[in-house]
Amino acid sequence: MMTNPEALVLAGDGINCEVETAYALSTTGFTPQLVHVSDLLDEPSMIKKFKLMVIPGGFSFGDEIASGKVLALKLKDKFDELLKEYVAQGSLLLGTCNGFQVLVQLGILPPPQNNNHVASLIHNATGRFVDRWVSLVVDPKVKCAFLSGIERFDLPVRHGEGQLKVAPGMESYVTSFACLRYGNDINGSFDLIAGLTNNTGNVFGLMPHPEAFVRWTQHPAWTSMNSPALEENSTTSLKTSAAVATLPRPAEPHGLAIFRSARKSID
Amino acid sequence: MRHDKDALYCAAVVPKKNTGSFPIYWLLISGLPPQEDKSKLLAFEKKLKESLNEILVDAILEDTLIDAIGSVDNWRKLFLKEGFKSMAVKQFMPGVTDNPAHIVEEAIQLHSIAEKIKVASGRIYLNSDGPNSFANSEYKLFHPVVERLAVFDLNTEISTDSFPHFPEVSLTQPDPPQPININISDDELSALSKERLLALTVEEMKAIQKHFADPRVESERKKVGLPSSPTDLELEVIAQTWSEHCKHKIFNATIEFTDKSSPESKKSKIESLYKSFIQKATSDLSHKRKDLLSVFVDNSGVVDWDETNAICFKVETHNSPSALEPYGGSLTGILGVNRDVIGTGLGAKPIFNTDILCFAYPSEKLAQRPKLLPAKTILDGVRKGIQDGGNKSGIPTVNGAVFFDDRYRAKPLVFCGTGGILPKKVGDRLGYKKYAQPGDIIVMAGGRVGKDGVHGATFSSEALHEGSPVTAVQIGDPFTQKRVLDFVLEARDQNLITALTDNGAGGLSSSVGEMAELTGGAKIDLESVPTKYQGLADWEIVVSESQERMTIATNQFEKLKKIADKHHVEVSAIGVFNESGKFEVERQGKLIGALELEFLHKGVPTLKLEAEYSPPQIKQDPKQPQVDYGQILLKLLAHPNIANKESIVRQYDHEVQAMSVIKPLMGRRQNAPCDAAVLTPVLGDKRGLAVSNGLAPRLSETDAYLMALSAVDEAVRNLVCVGADPKTISLLDNFCWPDPVDSPKNKLGKAYLGMLVKTCQGLYDAVIAYESPLISGKDSMKNDFDDGVVRLSVPPTLLVSAIAHVPDIEEAVTMDFKGKGDGIYLLKAGTVGLNTSHFEDVSGHKGNSLPSLNLTLAKDLYQKLHKSMREKLVRSAHDLSEGGLAVALAESVIGSEFGATVNLDSLEDAVPALFGEGPGHIVITVQKQNENKIEQLFGKDNLIKIGEVTEEPSLTISKNKTTLFNLDRKALEQAWNTQLPFD
Repeated sequence: MMTNPEALVLAGDGINCEVETAYALSTTGFTPQLVHVSDLLDEPSMIKKFKLMVIPGGFSFGDEIASGKVLALKLKDKFDELLKEYVAQGSLLLGTCNGFQVLVQLGILPPPQNNNHVASLIHNATGRFVDRWVSLVVDPKVKCAFLSGIERFDLPVRHGEGQLKVAPGMESYVTSFACLRYGNDINGSFDLIAGLTNNTGNVFGLMPHPEAFVRWTQHPAWTSMNSPALEENSTTSLKTSAAVATLPRPAEPHGLAIFRSARKSID
Repeated sequence: MRHDKDALYCAAVVPKKNTGSFPIYWLLISGLPPQEDKSKLLAFEKKLKESLNEILVDAILEDTLIDAIGSVDNWRKLFLKEGFKSMAVKQFMPGVTDNPAHIVEEAIQLHSIAEKIKVASGRIYLNSDGPNSFANSEYKLFHPVVERLAVFDLNTEISTDSFPHFPEVSLTQPDPPQPININISDDELSALSKERLLALTVEEMKAIQKHFADPRVESERKKVGLPSSPTDLELEVIAQTWSEHCKHKIFNATIEFTDKSSPESKKSKIESLYKSFIQKATSDLSHKRKDLLSVFVDNSGVVDWDETNAICFKVETHNSPSALEPYGGSLTGILGVNRDVIGTGLGAKPIFNTDILCFAYPSEKLAQRPKLLPAKTILDGVRKGIQDGGNKSGIPTVNGAVFFDDRYRAKPLVFCGTGGILPKKVGDRLGYKKYAQPGDIIVMAGGRVGKDGVHGATFSSEALHEGSPVTAVQIGDPFTQKRVLDFVLEARDQNLITALTDNGAGGLSSSVGEMAELTGGAKIDLESVPTKYQGLADWEIVVSESQERMTIATNQFEKLKKIADKHHVEVSAIGVFNESGKFEVERQGKLIGALELEFLHKGVPTLKLEAEYSPPQIKQDPKQPQVDYGQILLKLLAHPNIANKESIVRQYDHEVQAMSVIKPLMGRRQNAPCDAAVLTPVLGDKRGLAVSNGLAPRLSETDAYLMALSAVDEAVRNLVCVGADPKTISLLDNFCWPDPVDSPKNKLGKAYLGMLVKTCQGLYDAVIAYESPLISGKDSMKNDFDDGVVRLSVPPTLLVSAIAHVPDIEEAVTMDFKGKGDGIYLLKAGTVGLNTSHFEDVSGHKGNSLPSLNLTLAKDLYQKLHKSMREKLVRSAHDLSEGGLAVALAESVIGSEFGATVNLDSLEDAVPALFGEGPGHIVITVQKQNENKIEQLFGKDNLIKIGEVTEEPSLTISKNKTTLFNLDRKALEQAWNTQLPFD
């Protein structure tokens, strides 16, 4: 019998999406293990046995100073080299929401140029936290292990600091890593960017929450999309301000597709 | 203590495009190299700057200014050069919880630059006009209760002394506990209670006097070396334990009740409203509801959920603190009720928050008094506190309500509710019970003790006055509490906790004093209690309400500590549970206070009160006013109690933990306002938990009994609308009342108590009729403001919160219309009325009828509705609430792709039919092919077909072949999207 690959799900210090992330992983062929930041830093080499590491969403360190900042500082201190080694070997690294902010603060996404930090995630242009479902578009030209076979999909965003700001002159460089965009402007992000990958496509950071769409009844329009439980032949769609996205109903909720894609890339 | 080697540095994080508003940090550094060693000092400064740049700055967008405080005048020159003329520097007052600073401290520790670095945070504001531009910035730039602002003219040199220094708490060494002579006259006892803010009546003071005069007590005290008079510490513990907040004296009072609405003004005597109505309702139903695992005894009510889990639920209020410092008030409210859940049984995990806010709508006509914050400041602060309280703790705010009424001017009502999940078995123990044994260690976990919150419990039982102490204000720390939560759950799962409770109102005095009853005694040593700073008096340590603390009983302290260390949670063993029959307090092993538990918990004298109730005086007038129906509907949709709450809802994370099924706003445009939340507490399971609330304070002063029925019915009806099984409903009651104790200053006391009696009667009748037991509750009985000039009181308000099972989440129902051609039906279990309706507000016409509810019929209809939902006959369901039928239909159109044509021929006159409000009414839609089935199921009289869902997205209403109005969805939506007065 094949055993499922182990996935490290970081927990503690204000991270708060670890349980649902582990649940999503367990339903897509991973064996998730919740690991507290303190335990990881006590024994950083444990990373070597994992095929996937997820830094889930949350409010690490209360989002003080800047989102993801202090958790990144803490990881950098004892874990930076091992993490870079882990990524260089092609193992998978996913950061969702606050986890994405951590990856940006760590300088893993977007990959630095000449050792320089080239982009930041700052306060939404509205100045407000926002919880809303958005339609997302995958750029097929930018390869990412988490997005193969996926074109458009819906996920919730839940963040106050998701606006991607790019250092002057670095626009086209950053765009080359932009594997995921919002269908509509949600936070003022440069080029509508919702997610970034690295050169080798094994690191993925995104502001939306894939772990929050693993059953149909999580979608805000599920009761009006001719619920799959009640009827067949349905389509799902979110209507944003003007545009109407019509999406074919995929075989499974969109968030799961991301974890499934990651799982397939390991085989 | 400041030493020679201490130095104060300031660091500002300035945006590259200087917008004139940015953070500043003060860094108090101990263990600096000596001043004369220039090279070491320079090396130190270099390291400090590198470290701070890494911690504080976004390299793309920001720069830092880091200087010793003596050099901040250089900043002035720089800002002046940039074109600014004035500067304001904001910082917290000493002792106020400073969350950003604590995080910076933790981050700096990673770099080990100096022996110790203490941090304070603040903000700098620059203006291109002179210092006068900062006049009147109270409540805009800073909150004067917790923050201070220093303003500078940038053309004048800033001296080191004039620039704000580190906001250190400096206190003189307090006196040890002092005996307080209570062998004094009644007047002097009363004065003593007032002076020490004990909030005790003369009768209560005399009960204390009597207890200490008892020769048995006196000799026992002598034996252990305590003075015969109570010490200040003991007196404070008694006052805290006997506070209205903790002992619910009004709900336990003996009441002489005169009911003028009954024949011959019937007089009766009520021994405890709580026992006669609240507790009785539940015990009368207990034979029918075997799922009630723990009611009224723990920090929240616990009901059975599935094979392995139980669900708990609690709603608290935080009104007085929110009136003083709205952000801190609501934040600590949320975190406080979260701790109630965490502290249930052997520990529970919070899975949702639900918050109901009652505000005065900001306007010119509201009372302005020196001690009253601007109305808008209150609502913005409260909203932000709820956002941070939920979001930063990872607990979704799944639903709630905002209700405006000018009578909430002085005291907003901030109801904070939390539900949790807990295992039914933890090892061999039941997860919903407590098992502390003599010998178990008393552990304080989480935050440290400070002066903040001293006198919170007693304070919330006092009317606000000009001398209200600022120590009652505090700011919560959701990050620390999240760590505490993670720690508690891990310790629970390792079976290390034998009992726990939160440190809420009353602090250690309350948590240890109450847990002591589990074993029959407890002893703590204040020397082991970690404090935030020096200089706290012993009595202050015992009653301080500093936040984010749990009190835990364990028999394995070392193991517990190891887990706590991992989570960066401070835990201290502060005492031992025993069987002494006393709550004892020591300092370095020396006994400084001992109170008998029997006296402490049962010694408070029963209050004796009078209540009077007068029947509602409504002038019945059958004549209907002439109105423009369409215009009235648009005005109603724009009414702040009805308008879209999206701007608030979107700032609350309502989906974290991934349990949501019915969110606050659903549909393809995510704007269908749902009646209740549904979530699935166990990931991967089909079982749903529905959560709702009901309140009807506009009815209170007209008909308090009906108000109670309406509140219960609204909560129940909302649950049924989303697919919950009405046989599984559990309720919470929350009373927020104006002072119901008659006194020369409070002439309405008897009347308010009369309304309270009527409300309890209504609550009892509704609970029994719906077979929906109360599992927990709370009361807040002094929601008045009195500064000697004006007295402002809230309307008597009962909030009923409810949870129930949804058998299968895929059967949950939302309120938006689902398909053209669907039949629209009205379910009726009573009549609607216009008196106190929102129609009165927008039309200028006085309503002439009150609603009514047939409880038996309502229960029957709700069960039938649930049955038809299980048979998948119901496509949408929406309750009639504020604004009546017209608003319910408009909302179902707004949230959908469709429209509706409705005719009112089978209903009453057009105005009450469209705009009348009342319990017991639901609009449902049914697919054509199912119409016969549903009509048969309900019978003709109670299910009236009123129209049809149309493809055309507009709402058309007619009566007797005349079209009353036709409004397209855009017009309805535009009115409904009217901006609420929140930032």
